[in-house]
Amino acid sequence: RQELCRLPESSQPLYIAGQRCFSNASIRKEKSGEPSPSEDKVHLTESCVKRLSEIMEKGEYLRIHVEGGGCSGFQYKFSVDRNKNEEDRVFEQGGVGIVVDQESLEFVKGSTVDFSQELIRSTFQVLKNPQADHGCSCGSSFSVKV
Amino acid sequence: VNKRKLFPTRAALTLTPAAVSKIRLLLQDKPEYIGLKVGVRTRGCNGLTYTLEYTKEKEKSDEEVLQDGVRVFIEKKAQLTLLGTEMDFVESKLSSEFIFNNPNIKGMCGCGESFNI
Repeated sequence: RQELCRLPESSQPLYIAGQRCFSNASIRKEKSGEPSPSEDKVHLTESCVKRLSEIMEKGEYLRIHVEGGGCSGFQYKFSVDRNKNEEDRVFEQGGVGIVVDQESLEFVKGSTVDFSQELIRSTFQVLKNPQADHGCSCGSSFSVKV
Repeated sequence: VNKRKLFPTRAALTLTPAAVSKIRLLLQDKPEYIGLKVGVRTRGCNGLTYTLEYTKEKEKSDEEVLQDGVRVFIEKKAQLTLLGTEMDFVESKLSSEFIFNNPNIKGMCGCGESFNI
């Protein structure tokens, strides 16, 4: 579905592609009451929700920010933020929330945020990012699928 | 006045107070383990990465570092790589990790997980 919206050179006639997007959007609206497509979501794992509820105070969000850098071109940045701007999207689950700005969301939509706990380090990670081609072994940096 | 402790030989690995207290905390409720073992693996964009695991016994070839009551063992393969390294534990709200300040390395990945000698 997403591909149809993004690639106008698809073998399907354009008007069908458009119609599909439109009809999907309207179905989603009825289902969830959200104005945006569900593919644009960022998912949270259980351990992520658990950890956030431990460390975050009321009104604090985990902000995910994508910027250029790292050994693979882009990297994820995590921070704690009390403010959300108008262009931010908020994803809430289990009483905790993460915020992603529109530009970063283009790079992380559809992915899952996890809190990984190992002996050597425990940290938040973005997993299963459909936009990412391959990343650094540490998972903080990634390159984008063309 | 407390005098600084003098070591007769240079330890292969030194631990910062933060690392010592974290390791102590980790081992507190795990009496079956005697310490942590540090190793290196070939992995990551810069060639090598550190590994850390609990250990139940000292292997013959392991170098033992005993500091302030905690034991850290260094795998044979990692001994040359790690010589003179300071092991630190850094904790922030969002993440916590052991980091190795290694004087022998030439380059490092941006995230600090991978390095080369």
